Amino acid sequence: MSDPELPPPPDVSGTSLSGAGTITISAEQNAALCRSTRIEPAADGTAHPIWFFVASQVGMGRSVAGICEACEFDVNEGPMMTGSRVTFSQPIRTGVPYRVDGEIKGLTRKRSRTLGVMDLMEYELRLVGADDGETVLVTTNSWALPRRELAA
Amino acid sequence: MIGAGQALPPFEIASIDPQAMVVWADLLHDPNPIHLDKAAVQAAGLGERRINQGPANLAYILNMLAAALPDWRVESTDVRFMANVLEDDRVVAGGTITAANDSHVTCDIWLEVDGRGRALAGSATLVKND
Repeated sequence: MSDPELPPPPDVSGTSLSGAGTITISAEQNAALCRSTRIEPAADGTAHPIWFFVASQVGMGRSVAGICEACEFDVNEGPMMTGSRVTFSQPIRTGVPYRVDGEIKGLTRKRSRTLGVMDLMEYELRLVGADDGETVLVTTNSWALPRRELAA
Repeated sequence: MIGAGQALPPFEIASIDPQAMVVWADLLHDPNPIHLDKAAVQAAGLGERRINQGPANLAYILNMLAAALPDWRVESTDVRFMANVLEDDRVVAGGTITAANDSHVTCDIWLEVDGRGRALAGSATLVKND
């Protein structure tokens, strides 16, 4: 719940983040990601689970800058990712086309000891099999948007 | 035998490689120069070293879970990003089992940066592989 003594944050709840196309993780992309974290890729066609974040972020309908713009926040002001939750229904696989559905859940305006005033922004993304319509995972990311203009 | 209170074997990255940040920038379609260019980091007042992408830090924890519990797969995670990880940092992903039964294991999880404390912490639930 937002601080009632502060001006209300922009009402962005429900803003669609659904992507227009599909995203397919290639075996080569998965291998590059795995090796960048010092492991070898799985041999059974499953992708590294961190693709939950990468694929949903790349496949959503707006960039982080675009989400910030929807929240009337300049990305150059330095948004900070504060948290991420995910629940998998099944593993992510290479070579499978997925689409990303999602929306902004809302902004909560708060006072912060370190940031003065900030908006806590949450958005939910769902990775869905493009062929079978099965939801593979649901993830919610949260970002802090420092509102320096309100901090005085 | 898996049980509450059991520490999971750590997963260590001896030195964060800035070349890996180039891979992540490409995969994430994220050209933010704080991951790629020391001058940009300095200009932003964020120090002298390039900043690792946040999801890469979570990936190290997922690697730790996969190695420690090979018969289980991650069903959910919930993490807080608390601090940056920088190039050349040594990091160690760790975890402790908080509950376990025949079908699920829950753990506290974290990523510790040498000399600076935890950059990331949270919880994970794993489910037995089919």
